[in-house]
Amino acid sequence: MRAASLAGILPVLIVGMAICSAPAVSRPTLPFGVRVPRARAGAPVIKRERRAYYWRTAAIGLCCTAVAVAIVGHGSWWLTRIILVPEMAAGFCCFRIAQRKIAAVKNKDEWFAGLRQTVVTDTSWRTDPPRFPLRWLVPALAVIAATIAVGALRYPGLPAHIVTTSGHRVSKSAVSALLVAFQLYVTAQWTGIMLIIYRSRPDIEAADPAASTLRYRRFLAAFARALLTMAALVDTTLLLIALGIWQVYRPSGAVQALPILPVAAGLVLLATVAARSGQGGSRLNGNVRGLALATGTDRDDDRLWKAGLFYVNRDDPAIMVAARFGAGWTLNFGNRVAWLIIAGVVATPACLAVIGAAAGM
Amino acid sequence: MSAAAVTEIPGGVVLLSIEPDGPVPIYQQIRDRIVEAIAGGRQPAGSALPSTRQLAVDLGVNFHTVNKAYDLLRQEGLLRLGRKSGAVVRRDASSGPPDPGWAEDWTGRLRTLLAEAAAQGMPATDIAGECQDAVADFAFPAAAAAGNGSGSPP
Repeated sequence: MRAASLAGILPVLIVGMAICSAPAVSRPTLPFGVRVPRARAGAPVIKRERRAYYWRTAAIGLCCTAVAVAIVGHGSWWLTRIILVPEMAAGFCCFRIAQRKIAAVKNKDEWFAGLRQTVVTDTSWRTDPPRFPLRWLVPALAVIAATIAVGALRYPGLPAHIVTTSGHRVSKSAVSALLVAFQLYVTAQWTGIMLIIYRSRPDIEAADPAASTLRYRRFLAAFARALLTMAALVDTTLLLIALGIWQVYRPSGAVQALPILPVAAGLVLLATVAARSGQGGSRLNGNVRGLALATGTDRDDDRLWKAGLFYVNRDDPAIMVAARFGAGWTLNFGNRVAWLIIAGVVATPACLAVIGAAAGM
Repeated sequence: MSAAAVTEIPGGVVLLSIEPDGPVPIYQQIRDRIVEAIAGGRQPAGSALPSTRQLAVDLGVNFHTVNKAYDLLRQEGLLRLGRKSGAVVRRDASSGPPDPGWAEDWTGRLRTLLAEAAAQGMPATDIAGECQDAVADFAFPAAAAAGNGSGSPP
Protein backbone atom coordinates (compact mmCIF):
# COMPACT_ATOMS: atom_id res chain seq x y z
CA MET A 1 0.00 0.00 0.00
CA ARG A 2 1.33 3.42 -0.95
CA ALA A 3 1.91 6.08 1.68
CA ALA A 4 -0.72 8.34 0.11
CA SER A 5 -3.30 5.53 0.33
CA LEU A 6 -2.38 4.93 3.97
CA ALA A 7 -2.71 8.64 4.71
CA GLY A 8 -6.19 8.55 3.14
CA ILE A 9 -7.49 5.48 4.98
CA LEU A 10 -5.90 5.92 8.43
CA PRO A 11 -7.88 9.03 9.48
CA VAL A 12 -11.17 7.27 8.68
CA LEU A 13 -10.13 4.23 10.72
CA ILE A 14 -8.79 6.32 13.63
CA VAL A 15 -11.90 8.53 13.81
CA GLY A 16 -14.09 5.41 13.72
CA MET A 17 -12.12 3.85 16.58
CA ALA A 18 -12.21 7.08 18.61
CA ILE A 19 -16.00 7.42 18.23
CA CYS A 20 -16.56 3.77 19.13
CA SER A 21 -14.31 3.76 22.20
CA ALA A 22 -15.39 7.14 23.67
CA PRO A 23 -17.90 5.70 26.21
CA ALA A 24 -15.17 3.45 27.65
CA VAL A 25 -13.09 6.44 28.80
CA SER A 26 -15.99 8.70 29.85
CA ARG A 27 -16.87 9.15 33.51
CA PRO A 28 -19.23 6.42 34.81
CA THR A 29 -21.48 9.17 36.20
CA LEU A 30 -21.73 10.82 32.76
CA PRO A 31 -22.91 8.11 30.37
CA PHE A 32 -23.44 9.72 26.95
CA GLY A 33 -23.33 13.19 28.46
CA VAL A 34 -26.17 12.56 30.90
CA ARG A 35 -25.39 13.37 34.54
CA VAL A 36 -26.47 10.48 36.76
CA PRO A 37 -25.98 9.85 40.49
CA ARG A 38 -23.25 7.34 41.33
CA ALA A 39 -25.77 4.77 42.55
CA ARG A 40 -27.40 4.78 39.09
CA ALA A 41 -24.20 4.41 37.05
CA GLY A 42 -24.93 0.72 36.51
CA ALA A 43 -28.62 1.14 35.58
CA PRO A 44 -29.93 -1.38 32.99
CA VAL A 45 -30.78 1.37 30.48
CA ILE A 46 -27.17 2.62 30.55
CA LYS A 47 -25.73 -0.86 30.01
CA ARG A 48 -28.18 -1.54 27.20
CA GLU A 49 -27.50 1.75 25.41
CA ARG A 50 -23.75 1.41 25.78
CA ARG A 51 -23.86 -2.04 24.17
CA ALA A 52 -26.07 -0.80 21.32
CA TYR A 53 -23.75 2.19 20.78
CA TYR A 54 -20.68 -0.06 20.48
CA TRP A 55 -22.36 -2.24 17.84
CA ARG A 56 -23.72 0.69 15.85
CA THR A 57 -20.51 2.74 15.82
CA ALA A 58 -18.32 -0.31 15.13
CA ALA A 59 -20.48 -1.07 12.07
CA ILE A 60 -20.29 2.57 10.93
CA GLY A 61 -16.50 2.66 11.40
CA LEU A 62 -15.99 -0.58 9.44
CA CYS A 63 -18.30 0.53 6.61
CA CYS A 64 -16.59 3.92 6.28
CA THR A 65 -13.12 2.34 6.35
CA ALA A 66 -14.22 -0.16 3.68
CA VAL A 67 -15.49 2.69 1.51
CA ALA A 68 -12.19 4.56 2.04
CA VAL A 69 -10.21 1.47 0.99
CA ALA A 70 -12.41 1.10 -2.10
CA ILE A 71 -12.14 4.68 -3.30
CA VAL A 72 -8.60 5.57 -2.30
CA GLY A 73 -6.44 6.13 -5.33
CA HIS A 74 -9.49 6.87 -7.48
CA GLY A 75 -9.89 10.57 -8.05
CA SER A 76 -8.76 13.34 -5.72
CA TRP A 77 -7.16 12.83 -2.30
CA TRP A 78 -10.00 14.72 -0.60
CA LEU A 79 -12.55 12.00 -1.41
CA THR A 80 -11.37 9.95 1.59
CA ARG A 81 -11.50 13.08 3.76
CA ILE A 82 -15.15 13.64 2.82
CA ILE A 83 -16.01 10.23 4.32
CA LEU A 84 -15.06 11.66 7.70
CA VAL A 85 -18.12 13.96 7.57
CA PRO A 86 -20.83 11.25 7.33
CA GLU A 87 -18.79 9.07 9.70
CA MET A 88 -18.78 11.74 12.41
CA ALA A 89 -22.41 12.67 11.72
CA ALA A 90 -23.46 9.01 12.08
CA GLY A 91 -21.43 8.71 15.29
CA PHE A 92 -23.14 11.82 16.67
CA CYS A 93 -26.56 10.35 15.83
CA CYS A 94 -25.66 7.16 17.73
CA PHE A 95 -24.58 9.31 20.68
CA ARG A 96 -27.86 11.27 20.61
CA ILE A 97 -29.98 8.11 20.50
CA ALA A 98 -28.25 6.72 23.60
CA GLN A 99 -28.30 10.11 25.34
CA ARG A 100 -32.02 10.66 24.79
CA LYS A 101 -32.98 7.17 25.96
CA ILE A 102 -30.94 7.44 29.18
CA ALA A 103 -32.17 10.99 29.85
CA ALA A 104 -35.79 9.88 29.35
CA VAL A 105 -35.48 7.13 31.98
CA LYS A 106 -33.56 9.44 34.32
CA ASN A 107 -36.23 12.15 34.16
CA LYS A 108 -39.14 9.72 34.34
CA ASP A 109 -37.78 7.92 37.42
CA GLU A 110 -36.46 11.17 38.97
CA TRP A 111 -32.97 9.86 39.73
CA PHE A 112 -31.93 13.08 41.44
CA ALA A 113 -35.03 13.41 43.64
CA GLY A 114 -34.09 13.97 47.28
CA LEU A 115 -30.34 14.09 46.60
CA ARG A 116 -28.17 16.96 47.77
CA GLN A 117 -26.63 18.38 44.60
CA THR A 118 -23.38 20.20 45.18
CA VAL A 119 -20.40 21.75 43.43
CA VAL A 120 -17.05 21.18 45.13
CA THR A 121 -13.72 22.89 44.77
CA ASP A 122 -10.29 22.43 46.27
CA THR A 123 -8.75 25.72 47.41
CA SER A 124 -5.24 24.25 47.24
CA TRP A 125 -5.70 23.97 43.47
CA ARG A 126 -5.01 27.71 43.44
CA THR A 127 -2.84 28.20 46.50
CA ASP A 128 -0.65 25.18 45.58
CA PRO A 129 -1.32 24.78 41.85
CA PRO A 130 -0.03 21.83 39.82
CA ARG A 131 3.13 22.70 37.92
CA PHE A 132 3.07 22.73 34.16
CA PRO A 133 5.62 20.14 32.89
CA LEU A 134 7.71 22.71 31.03
CA ARG A 135 10.62 20.27 30.55
CA TRP A 136 8.42 18.12 28.33
CA LEU A 137 8.36 20.98 25.84
CA VAL A 138 12.10 20.53 25.20
CA PRO A 139 11.76 17.65 22.65
CA ALA A 140 9.35 19.70 20.49
CA LEU A 141 11.62 22.75 20.61
CA ALA A 142 14.65 20.56 19.82
CA VAL A 143 12.91 19.14 16.74
CA ILE A 144 12.03 22.66 15.55
CA ALA A 145 15.64 23.77 16.13
CA ALA A 146 16.87 20.73 14.20
CA THR A 147 14.49 21.54 11.32
CA ILE A 148 15.78 25.12 11.17
CA ALA A 149 19.42 23.93 11.36
CA VAL A 150 19.02 21.33 8.59
CA GLY A 151 17.04 23.82 6.50
CA ALA A 152 19.76 26.45 6.86
CA LEU A 153 22.41 23.92 5.77
CA ARG A 154 20.46 22.58 2.77
CA TYR A 155 18.89 25.86 1.62
CA PRO A 156 21.83 27.35 -0.39
CA GLY A 157 22.28 24.15 -2.42
CA LEU A 158 18.61 23.80 -3.41
CA PRO A 159 17.13 25.05 -6.71
CA ALA A 160 14.73 28.03 -6.47
CA HIS A 161 11.77 25.73 -7.14
CA ILE A 162 11.39 22.19 -5.89
CA VAL A 163 9.15 19.46 -7.33
CA THR A 164 7.43 17.52 -4.54
CA THR A 165 6.52 13.80 -4.59
CA SER A 166 2.95 14.77 -5.48
CA GLY A 167 4.28 16.57 -8.57
CA HIS A 168 3.78 20.15 -7.34
CA ARG A 169 6.41 22.76 -8.17
CA VAL A 170 6.93 24.94 -5.11
CA SER A 171 9.15 27.83 -4.10
CA LYS A 172 11.93 26.61 -1.78
CA SER A 173 11.72 29.64 0.49
CA ALA A 174 7.92 29.39 0.88
CA VAL A 175 7.83 25.66 1.57
CA SER A 176 10.73 25.86 4.05
CA ALA A 177 9.20 28.79 5.94
CA LEU A 178 5.73 27.20 5.99
CA LEU A 179 6.95 23.89 7.40
CA VAL A 180 8.73 25.64 10.27
CA ALA A 181 5.76 27.97 10.77
CA PHE A 182 3.44 24.97 11.03
CA GLN A 183 5.76 23.33 13.58
CA LEU A 184 5.73 26.52 15.65
CA TYR A 185 1.94 26.79 15.32
CA VAL A 186 1.30 23.22 16.51
CA THR A 187 3.71 23.52 19.44
CA ALA A 188 2.53 26.98 20.50
CA GLN A 189 -1.16 26.15 20.13
CA TRP A 190 -1.04 22.92 22.15
CA THR A 191 1.17 24.47 24.81
CA GLY A 192 -1.19 27.45 25.05
CA ILE A 193 -4.26 25.23 25.34
CA MET A 194 -2.58 23.11 28.04
CA LEU A 195 -1.66 26.28 29.96
CA ILE A 196 -5.32 27.38 29.84
CA ILE A 197 -6.36 23.92 31.04
CA TYR A 198 -3.90 24.17 33.95
CA ARG A 199 -5.68 27.37 34.98
CA SER A 200 -9.13 25.85 34.48
CA ARG A 201 -11.18 24.26 37.22
CA PRO A 202 -10.37 20.73 38.28
CA ASP A 203 -12.87 18.00 37.47
CA ILE A 204 -13.86 17.06 41.04
CA GLU A 205 -16.64 14.61 41.91
CA ALA A 206 -18.86 15.71 44.78
CA ALA A 207 -19.46 12.09 45.75
CA ASP A 208 -15.73 11.51 46.20
CA PRO A 209 -13.99 14.91 46.19
CA ALA A 210 -10.72 14.09 47.94
CA ALA A 211 -9.83 11.05 45.88
CA SER A 212 -11.08 12.56 42.61
CA THR A 213 -8.90 15.65 43.21
CA LEU A 214 -5.83 13.47 43.60
CA ARG A 215 -6.76 11.42 40.55
CA TYR A 216 -7.37 14.57 38.49
CA ARG A 217 -3.90 15.90 39.36
CA ARG A 218 -2.34 12.68 38.06
CA PHE A 219 -4.56 12.68 34.97
CA LEU A 220 -3.68 16.28 34.14
CA ALA A 221 0.06 15.66 34.50
CA ALA A 222 -0.10 12.50 32.35
CA PHE A 223 -2.24 14.16 29.69
CA ALA A 224 -0.01 17.28 29.51
CA ARG A 225 3.13 15.15 29.11
CA ALA A 226 1.43 13.04 26.43
CA LEU A 227 0.21 16.09 24.51
CA LEU A 228 3.63 17.77 24.59
CA THR A 229 5.18 14.50 23.38
CA MET A 230 2.54 14.42 20.65
CA ALA A 231 3.57 17.95 19.63
CA ALA A 232 7.19 16.77 19.37
CA LEU A 233 6.05 13.80 17.24
CA VAL A 234 3.97 16.01 14.91
CA ASP A 235 6.98 18.30 14.59
CA THR A 236 9.06 15.20 13.72
CA THR A 237 6.56 14.30 11.01
CA LEU A 238 6.92 17.80 9.58
CA LEU A 239 10.72 17.49 9.83
CA LEU A 240 10.60 14.22 7.88
CA ILE A 241 8.41 15.85 5.22
CA ALA A 242 10.88 18.76 5.08
CA LEU A 243 13.84 16.39 4.73
CA GLY A 244 12.10 14.78 1.75
CA ILE A 245 11.44 18.15 0.13
CA TRP A 246 14.97 19.32 0.85
CA GLN A 247 16.25 16.18 -0.88
CA VAL A 248 18.06 14.85 2.19
CA TYR A 249 16.47 11.45 1.46
CA ARG A 250 14.43 10.15 -1.46
CA PRO A 251 10.82 9.47 -0.43
CA SER A 252 10.00 6.50 -2.63
CA GLY A 253 8.38 3.12 -1.97
CA ALA A 254 7.87 2.19 1.68
CA VAL A 255 9.99 5.18 2.80
CA GLN A 256 7.10 7.44 1.74
CA ALA A 257 5.18 6.20 4.79
CA LEU A 258 7.97 7.33 7.15
CA PRO A 259 6.43 10.73 8.06
CA ILE A 260 3.19 9.04 9.12
CA LEU A 261 4.92 6.95 11.78
CA PRO A 262 5.58 9.69 14.41
CA VAL A 263 1.98 10.96 14.26
CA ALA A 264 0.68 7.39 14.49
CA ALA A 265 2.92 6.77 17.51
CA GLY A 266 1.60 9.96 19.12
CA LEU A 267 -2.01 8.91 18.60
CA VAL A 268 -1.28 5.52 20.15
CA LEU A 269 0.31 7.32 23.12
CA LEU A 270 -2.70 9.62 23.62
CA ALA A 271 -5.11 6.69 23.30
CA THR A 272 -3.09 4.73 25.86
CA VAL A 273 -3.15 7.62 28.36
CA ALA A 274 -6.89 8.08 27.85
CA ALA A 275 -7.58 4.35 28.21
CA ARG A 276 -5.47 4.00 31.36
CA SER A 277 -6.61 7.20 33.08
CA GLY A 278 -10.20 7.57 31.93
CA GLN A 279 -11.79 11.01 31.83
CA GLY A 280 -10.45 13.14 34.71
CA GLY A 281 -8.55 10.11 36.09
CA SER A 282 -11.77 8.19 36.72
CA ARG A 283 -10.05 4.89 35.95
CA LEU A 284 -7.04 5.53 38.17
CA ASN A 285 -6.63 4.24 41.70
CA GLY A 286 -6.51 7.10 44.14
CA ASN A 287 -8.55 6.45 47.24
CA VAL A 288 -7.95 8.52 50.33
CA ARG A 289 -7.83 6.05 53.15
CA GLY A 290 -9.87 6.50 56.28
CA LEU A 291 -11.73 9.57 55.11
CA ALA A 292 -15.37 9.58 54.11
CA LEU A 293 -15.60 12.85 52.29
CA ALA A 294 -18.75 12.80 50.21
CA THR A 295 -20.29 16.27 50.15
CA GLY A 296 -23.36 15.20 48.17
CA THR A 297 -23.80 14.25 44.58
CA ASP A 298 -22.74 16.16 41.47
CA ARG A 299 -25.17 18.85 40.36
CA ASP A 300 -27.54 17.85 37.58
CA ASP A 301 -26.35 20.36 34.98
CA ASP A 302 -27.66 18.69 31.81
CA ARG A 303 -29.53 21.85 30.80
CA LEU A 304 -26.20 23.68 30.38
CA TRP A 305 -24.97 21.12 27.83
CA LYS A 306 -26.50 21.61 24.38
CA ALA A 307 -26.94 18.33 22.51
CA GLY A 308 -25.08 16.74 25.43
CA LEU A 309 -21.70 17.87 24.09
CA PHE A 310 -21.53 21.68 23.98
CA TYR A 311 -21.23 23.63 27.22
CA VAL A 312 -22.97 27.01 27.07
CA ASN A 313 -23.08 28.93 30.35
CA ARG A 314 -22.78 32.71 30.31
CA ASP A 315 -22.69 32.88 34.11
CA ASP A 316 -19.65 30.61 34.30
CA PRO A 317 -16.35 32.51 33.86
CA ALA A 318 -14.54 29.26 32.93
CA ILE A 319 -13.08 29.16 29.43
CA MET A 320 -12.45 25.42 29.32
CA VAL A 321 -14.20 22.65 31.22
CA ALA A 322 -13.91 18.87 31.34
CA ALA A 323 -15.61 17.20 28.37
CA ARG A 324 -18.76 15.18 28.99
CA PHE A 325 -18.05 12.45 26.45
CA GLY A 326 -14.66 10.81 25.93
CA ALA A 327 -11.51 12.18 27.58
CA GLY A 328 -10.24 15.74 27.49
CA TRP A 329 -11.66 19.23 27.70
CA THR A 330 -14.07 21.43 25.81
CA LEU A 331 -14.79 25.15 25.56
CA ASN A 332 -17.49 27.06 27.37
CA PHE A 333 -19.29 28.46 24.32
CA GLY A 334 -21.04 30.99 26.56
CA ASN A 335 -17.69 32.71 27.17
CA ARG A 336 -16.46 35.29 24.63
CA VAL A 337 -12.82 34.33 25.19
CA ALA A 338 -13.66 30.81 23.98
CA TRP A 339 -14.79 32.25 20.63
CA LEU A 340 -11.55 34.24 20.38
CA ILE A 341 -9.62 30.99 20.91
CA ILE A 342 -11.65 29.28 18.17
CA ALA A 343 -10.97 32.22 15.85
CA GLY A 344 -7.23 32.02 16.59
CA VAL A 345 -7.08 28.25 16.14
CA VAL A 346 -8.92 28.47 12.80
CA ALA A 347 -7.38 31.68 11.48
CA THR A 348 -3.72 30.69 11.84
CA PRO A 349 -3.78 27.51 9.70
CA ALA A 350 -6.14 29.28 7.26
CA CYS A 351 -3.54 32.04 6.84
CA LEU A 352 -0.79 29.42 6.41
CA ALA A 353 -2.93 27.65 3.78
CA VAL A 354 -3.52 30.91 1.90
CA ILE A 355 0.21 31.71 1.97
CA GLY A 356 0.94 28.15 0.82
CA ALA A 357 -1.55 28.45 -2.05
CA ALA A 358 -0.05 31.78 -3.05
CA ALA A 359 3.37 30.12 -3.10
CA GLY A 360 2.05 27.42 -5.41
CA MET A 361 1.96 24.57 -2.88
CA MET B 1 -25.63 23.96 56.77
CA SER B 2 -23.54 21.34 58.58
CA ALA B 3 -19.80 21.68 59.15
CA ALA B 4 -19.37 18.45 57.16
CA ALA B 5 -19.63 20.57 54.02
CA VAL B 6 -15.99 21.56 54.56
CA THR B 7 -13.71 18.55 54.42
CA GLU B 8 -10.00 18.01 54.52
CA ILE B 9 -7.63 15.59 52.86
CA PRO B 10 -3.95 15.01 53.62
CA GLY B 11 -1.72 17.89 52.63
CA GLY B 12 -3.93 20.65 53.98
CA VAL B 13 -6.31 20.67 51.04
CA VAL B 14 -9.62 22.35 51.86
CA LEU B 15 -12.66 21.35 49.89
CA LEU B 16 -15.46 23.91 49.70
CA SER B 17 -18.86 22.74 48.56
CA ILE B 18 -21.92 24.74 47.67
CA GLU B 19 -25.44 23.95 46.54
CA PRO B 20 -26.04 26.25 43.54
CA ASP B 21 -29.74 25.34 43.37
CA GLY B 22 -30.27 25.46 47.15
CA PRO B 23 -32.38 28.03 49.02
CA VAL B 24 -29.39 29.84 50.59
CA PRO B 25 -27.80 32.53 48.35
CA ILE B 26 -24.55 31.32 46.82
CA TYR B 27 -22.46 34.19 48.21
CA GLN B 28 -23.76 33.33 51.69
CA GLN B 29 -22.83 29.68 51.20
CA ILE B 30 -19.30 30.60 50.11
CA ARG B 31 -18.95 32.91 53.11
CA ASP B 32 -20.25 30.19 55.47
CA ARG B 33 -17.91 27.52 54.08
CA ILE B 34 -14.88 29.79 54.52
CA VAL B 35 -15.88 30.70 58.08
CA GLU B 36 -16.20 26.97 58.85
CA ALA B 37 -12.78 26.31 57.30
CA ILE B 38 -11.22 29.04 59.45
CA ALA B 39 -12.94 27.76 62.61
CA GLY B 40 -11.89 24.19 61.81
CA GLY B 41 -8.23 25.23 61.54
CA ARG B 42 -8.06 24.30 57.87
CA GLN B 43 -7.59 27.92 56.80
CA PRO B 44 -5.47 29.41 59.60
CA ALA B 45 -4.64 33.11 59.92
CA GLY B 46 -2.17 34.13 57.22
CA SER B 47 -3.21 31.37 54.81
CA ALA B 48 -4.17 32.34 51.27
CA LEU B 49 -7.49 31.80 49.57
CA PRO B 50 -7.99 31.66 45.80
CA SER B 51 -8.57 35.01 44.10
CA THR B 52 -12.20 35.96 43.44
CA ARG B 53 -11.79 35.16 39.76
CA GLN B 54 -10.21 31.78 40.41
CA LEU B 55 -12.82 30.73 42.97
CA ALA B 56 -15.58 31.86 40.59
CA VAL B 57 -14.10 29.65 37.84
CA ASP B 58 -13.73 26.69 40.21
CA LEU B 59 -17.30 26.92 41.48
CA GLY B 60 -18.78 27.87 38.10
CA VAL B 61 -20.43 30.99 39.51
CA ASN B 62 -20.38 34.66 38.63
CA PHE B 63 -17.28 36.61 39.62
CA HIS B 64 -19.45 39.16 41.48
CA THR B 65 -20.92 36.40 43.67
CA VAL B 66 -17.50 35.49 45.07
CA ASN B 67 -16.62 39.16 45.33
CA LYS B 68 -19.69 39.69 47.50
CA ALA B 69 -18.76 36.76 49.77
CA TYR B 70 -15.17 37.99 50.17
CA ASP B 71 -16.37 41.51 50.86
CA LEU B 72 -18.66 40.19 53.57
CA LEU B 73 -15.76 38.33 55.17
CA ARG B 74 -13.62 41.45 54.96
CA GLN B 75 -16.29 43.49 56.73
CA GLU B 76 -16.44 40.81 59.44
CA GLY B 77 -12.67 41.13 59.91
CA LEU B 78 -11.92 37.57 58.82
CA LEU B 79 -10.30 38.36 55.48
CA ARG B 80 -7.72 40.80 54.21
CA LEU B 81 -7.95 41.71 50.54
CA GLY B 82 -4.90 43.15 48.85
CA ARG B 83 -3.97 43.77 45.25
CA LYS B 84 -0.63 42.02 45.60
CA SER B 85 -1.31 39.59 48.46
CA GLY B 86 -4.76 38.53 47.22
CA ALA B 87 -7.26 37.12 49.72
CA VAL B 88 -5.59 36.19 53.02
CA VAL B 89 -7.22 34.97 56.24
CA ARG B 90 -6.83 37.83 58.73
CA ARG B 91 -7.67 36.08 61.96
CA ASP B 92 -8.63 32.73 63.48
CA ALA B 93 -9.27 31.26 66.95
CA SER B 94 -5.64 31.83 67.99
CA SER B 95 -5.70 35.53 67.10
CA GLY B 96 -7.12 36.59 70.47
CA PRO B 97 -10.58 37.75 71.58
CA PRO B 98 -13.02 39.18 69.05
CA ASP B 99 -13.46 42.89 68.41
CA PRO B 100 -15.52 44.81 71.01
CA GLY B 101 -19.23 44.68 70.30
CA TRP B 102 -18.97 41.65 68.05
CA ALA B 103 -19.89 39.11 70.76
CA GLU B 104 -23.04 41.04 71.65
CA ASP B 105 -24.25 40.99 68.07
CA TRP B 106 -23.37 37.31 67.68
CA THR B 107 -25.19 36.36 70.90
CA GLY B 108 -28.31 37.99 69.53
CA ARG B 109 -28.12 35.97 66.30
CA LEU B 110 -27.36 32.78 68.24
CA ARG B 111 -30.39 33.26 70.47
CA THR B 112 -32.59 33.56 67.38
CA LEU B 113 -31.08 30.41 65.88
CA LEU B 114 -31.57 28.44 69.10
CA ALA B 115 -35.07 29.86 69.47
CA GLU B 116 -35.92 28.42 66.04
CA ALA B 117 -34.97 24.93 67.28
CA ALA B 118 -36.93 25.38 70.52
CA ALA B 119 -39.97 26.70 68.65
CA GLN B 120 -39.85 23.65 66.38
CA GLY B 121 -40.00 21.43 69.48
CA MET B 122 -36.40 20.26 69.66
CA PRO B 123 -35.55 19.12 73.22
CA ALA B 124 -33.08 21.26 75.19
CA THR B 125 -30.66 18.33 75.55
CA ASP B 126 -30.61 17.84 71.75
CA ILE B 127 -29.99 21.54 71.17
CA ALA B 128 -27.12 21.51 73.66
CA GLY B 129 -25.76 18.29 72.14
CA GLU B 130 -25.76 19.76 68.64
CA CYS B 131 -23.94 22.83 69.94
CA GLN B 132 -21.30 20.67 71.63
CA ASP B 133 -20.79 18.55 68.51
CA ALA B 134 -20.31 21.62 66.34
CA VAL B 135 -17.85 23.24 68.77
CA ALA B 136 -15.90 19.96 69.02
CA ASP B 137 -15.08 20.28 65.30
CA PHE B 138 -13.45 23.68 65.72
CA ALA B 139 -9.74 24.21 66.27
CA PHE B 140 -9.09 26.20 69.42
CA PRO B 141 -5.65 27.28 70.63
CA ALA B 142 -3.95 24.56 72.71
CA ALA B 143 -3.68 26.78 75.82
CA ALA B 144 -7.39 27.61 75.78
CA ALA B 145 -8.32 23.97 75.29
CA ALA B 146 -6.01 22.88 78.13
CA GLY B 147 -7.37 25.61 80.36
CA ASN B 148 -10.80 24.19 79.90
CA GLY B 149 -9.55 21.02 81.58
CA SER B 150 -11.33 18.61 79.26
CA GLY B 151 -9.35 19.16 76.11
CA SER B 152 -12.43 20.46 74.36
CA PRO B 153 -13.64 24.03 74.16
CA PRO B 154 -16.36 25.40 76.46
